[in-house]
Amino acid sequence: MTDNVIMYFEVHQPRRLRPYRRYEIGNNNSFFWDSENERIFKRISEKSYIPATRILMENNINATFSLSGTFIEQAEMFYPEVLDAFKEYFKSGLGELLDETYYHSLAGIYDENEFKKQISMHAEKMKNVFGIKPKNFRNTELIYNTNIGRIVKNIGYNLILTEFTDRFNNANSPNFVYKDINGLGMLLRNYNLSDDISFRFSNRSWPEFPLTAEKYASWIKHSEGDVINIFMDYETFGEHQDSSTGIFEFLKSLKTEMIKNNINDLRVNDALKFSVKSVINTDSTISWADTGRDLSPWTGNSMQVEALNILLSKGDKIDEKLFGYLQTSDNFYYMAAGTGPDQEVHEYFNPYKSPYNAFFYFTNILENF
Amino acid sequence: MRISVIGWELPPAFSGGLGVHTINIFSIINKIFDVTLYIPDVSGLYPYYPFRVKRVKTNYKINEKNIRNESYYTGFDGIKFHDFNEKIKYYNEMVVDQFDPETDIIHCHDWITFEAGIELKERYNKPLVITVHSTEIDRSGNFFPQKYIMDIERRGIKYADRIIAVSEYTQKMIIKYYNADPKKIYVVHNGIDNTFINMPQKSYDLYRNVLYFGRITTQKGPRFFLNAAYRVIKKFPDIKFTFAGTGDQEPEMRRITGELGINKNVIFRGFVSFNEQIYYYKNSDVFLLPAVSEPFGMSVIEAMSTGTPAIISYTTGVGEALHNVFRSDYWDTELLSEYIISMLLHRGLRETMGINGQIEARKFTWESAAIKTMEVYRSI
Repeated sequence: MTDNVIMYFEVHQPRRLRPYRRYEIGNNNSFFWDSENERIFKRISEKSYIPATRILMENNINATFSLSGTFIEQAEMFYPEVLDAFKEYFKSGLGELLDETYYHSLAGIYDENEFKKQISMHAEKMKNVFGIKPKNFRNTELIYNTNIGRIVKNIGYNLILTEFTDRFNNANSPNFVYKDINGLGMLLRNYNLSDDISFRFSNRSWPEFPLTAEKYASWIKHSEGDVINIFMDYETFGEHQDSSTGIFEFLKSLKTEMIKNNINDLRVNDALKFSVKSVINTDSTISWADTGRDLSPWTGNSMQVEALNILLSKGDKIDEKLFGYLQTSDNFYYMAAGTGPDQEVHEYFNPYKSPYNAFFYFTNILENF
Repeated sequence: MRISVIGWELPPAFSGGLGVHTINIFSIINKIFDVTLYIPDVSGLYPYYPFRVKRVKTNYKINEKNIRNESYYTGFDGIKFHDFNEKIKYYNEMVVDQFDPETDIIHCHDWITFEAGIELKERYNKPLVITVHSTEIDRSGNFFPQKYIMDIERRGIKYADRIIAVSEYTQKMIIKYYNADPKKIYVVHNGIDNTFINMPQKSYDLYRNVLYFGRITTQKGPRFFLNAAYRVIKKFPDIKFTFAGTGDQEPEMRRITGELGINKNVIFRGFVSFNEQIYYYKNSDVFLLPAVSEPFGMSVIEAMSTGTPAIISYTTGVGEALHNVFRSDYWDTELLSEYIISMLLHRGLRETMGINGQIEARKFTWESAAIKTMEVYRSI
C-alpha cells in the first residue's frame, strides 16, 4: 500500500534554429527560427500550459516543476500570460520549483564548469522571475550519472530526479527514496505509472483503455513502497494527449480519487521525510528517454557526436549566449536516426522532419565560427 | 490460379529494369500460382526459367541487336521510334494469335504489351491487370511525350481491371495525366536483387567521388548532376563526378562538361558490368539522382544497400518510402551542391545516413513485392 504521490512536470521549449543554408554562411547571423518558435509556443500555451495550470490551481493539486531558461525567455517574448499562470500557481504554495541547466543542455556529460555555470544562470532566473530559490535538481531529460550527482551535491541540492532502471543494483523499486554514493537524495521515476498517462492514456489498443482516475488511484494505492514518482512532460496535458481524449477531466478527478483513497500529493522536497532505502552506485549514465534510457537519443550516432564535437571545439569563438542555445539538447535529439518506434517519437518532435537536415542546418550555422 | 504474363524482355538478353522485375517477381509468384510468360522469341535467352515461358514467334525481325539499339527507352528520336512502334504493334498482334486462352488473369507490363492485353481481355473476357513501371511522361522527362504512346497507355489504364503502380508517385501521375480510376490502383514497390541484401558495411573514408548511375537520359536529370558538380568543384577541385552508364544524352553531357570547364573532374565511364556497378556504388561518397521524373528508382536503394548515402529528387518515386536520404527539387542545383558539400565535409553524416540507409534498403525485397502482387490478383 502506498499513500503518497509526487507529480513532477518538465516544462521546456527549445529555441529552435532556422533551416540555415550554406549560401548564408558568413553573411547572415540570424540563426533562430522565431516565427516557428512563436507559433509552437502559442499553440502549446493555449492547448496545454494555461489550461493545465488552471486545473492544478482550481483543484488544489500539489506538483513540482522545472522550467527551462529557454522556455522562460520565450514565454517573456511570445506569451507572458503563461508566466503569470505559473507565478500565480507558485504563489499559492501548491508548487515546488526545481533547478536545471538554463539551456536544457547536455553540459553535465562534457564540461563541469559549463554545467555549473548554466545551473547558476537558471537559479538566478528562478530568483528573478519567481522569487524562489530551488532546493532540488533535475538534469536535462533526467540524465544522471555519479559524476553529475557529485557536482549537484556539491552545489548544495538535496535531491535529484532520475529514471528508475534495472541497471541499478541496490534498487529494485522506484517507489522509495534513495541516495547516491555522493550522499545526494534520489527520486526515481515510476515509468509504468508515468507512461500510463503520458503514452498510453489515449491508446485504444491498450487493454486498460479507457484509463479512469478511479482506476489509476487504485493502482497507486495498491503499489508497494513509500512514494510513487509520476514524472512527465507537462505537454502531456493538452498537447501529446489532446483535450478531446479527456486528459483534463482525468487530471481534475484524479485529485478527488486520491482524497477518497487517502493518497497525499506531495512535492519533491517533501520526500526528505522518508527514510533512505539504500545507496545507489552505478557506472552507467541514465536518462528517461527512448527505450534505452541512456544517452543514445543525443549522442547515439556518429553524426551527433561530430556535431557536438564541432560545437565544443568552437566554444571560445561563439558569443556566450548563442553558445548556450546551440548546446540545447533538442538540437542533438533532432539528429537521432534509426528505425522503429523511438524514431517515430523523434520525428514527431523534429521541426526539420529529417535528422540529416537537422545536422545539415546545425553544422552550417557552426561554419560561421 | 493461372496467370498469363505478357512480357517484353528477360535477363540475360537484356538487363533493363523491366526484365529484372519480371524474372524476380514471377519466379516467386510461380511457386504459388501457375505463371506463363510470353516474350519475343529472341536469341540470348536462358534455356529454362523458373516459370513457363512461351516464346512468341515473329517473322518480323526482332532480335536482341535491334532491340538493344532501339531499347524502348531510347529517347525522343521520332524516326527511330516510328520504326520501333511498328515492331511493338506487330509483337502484340503475334501475342494475341499465339495466346492460350486457358487462363484466369492476363497481366501486362507497360505500354509495349498493353494492346495485346486489351485485345485478349475483349476476346476471351478475362480480367486484365497492368503494371505501370513508367509512363511516357516520365521517359520523355515531359519533353515532347509521344501522343501515340500516351494513347496506348491511356487505353490500357482505362481497360484494366487492376493497375499496379510502382510508387505512389506513379499512382498520382496516372490519376492526373491519364485519368485513372483511383479505386483500381495498387502501389507495389520494387525489390532489390538478393546480392544487395547482405552487403558488408563499408568504410566511410573519403573516396572523393560522387556517382551518377543509370542511363544518361533527360528523364534522370544528368544536366542537373553536372550543374551541381560545377558548384561543388569550385570549392573542392579534387572531387570527381562519375557517370556510370550510357544514353542518348551522353554527347550533350560531354558538351556541357566542356562548356563548364570541368572535364578533369567528370568521368564518363560508359556501360558498366554488374561487378563494376557494385564497385562504383561502394567507392563513392554520395550517390546522386536528380531525376526529373523517376517512377521508382531501383538504383537508389541498390546504392544505399552498399552503404552509400543518396541525394535524390522529390520526383523519384522510391523517396516516398525512404527516411535516410536527402531530397531536393531536381532543378535546385544549389541545394544539391550544398548537400554534397556537407556530405564531403562530415564523415559522421555519411556514416550515419549510410548505415541507416543500408538497413532501410533491405526492406525492399522481391518477396514482399510478389506477395502484394498476388494480393492484387486475389482482389479481382
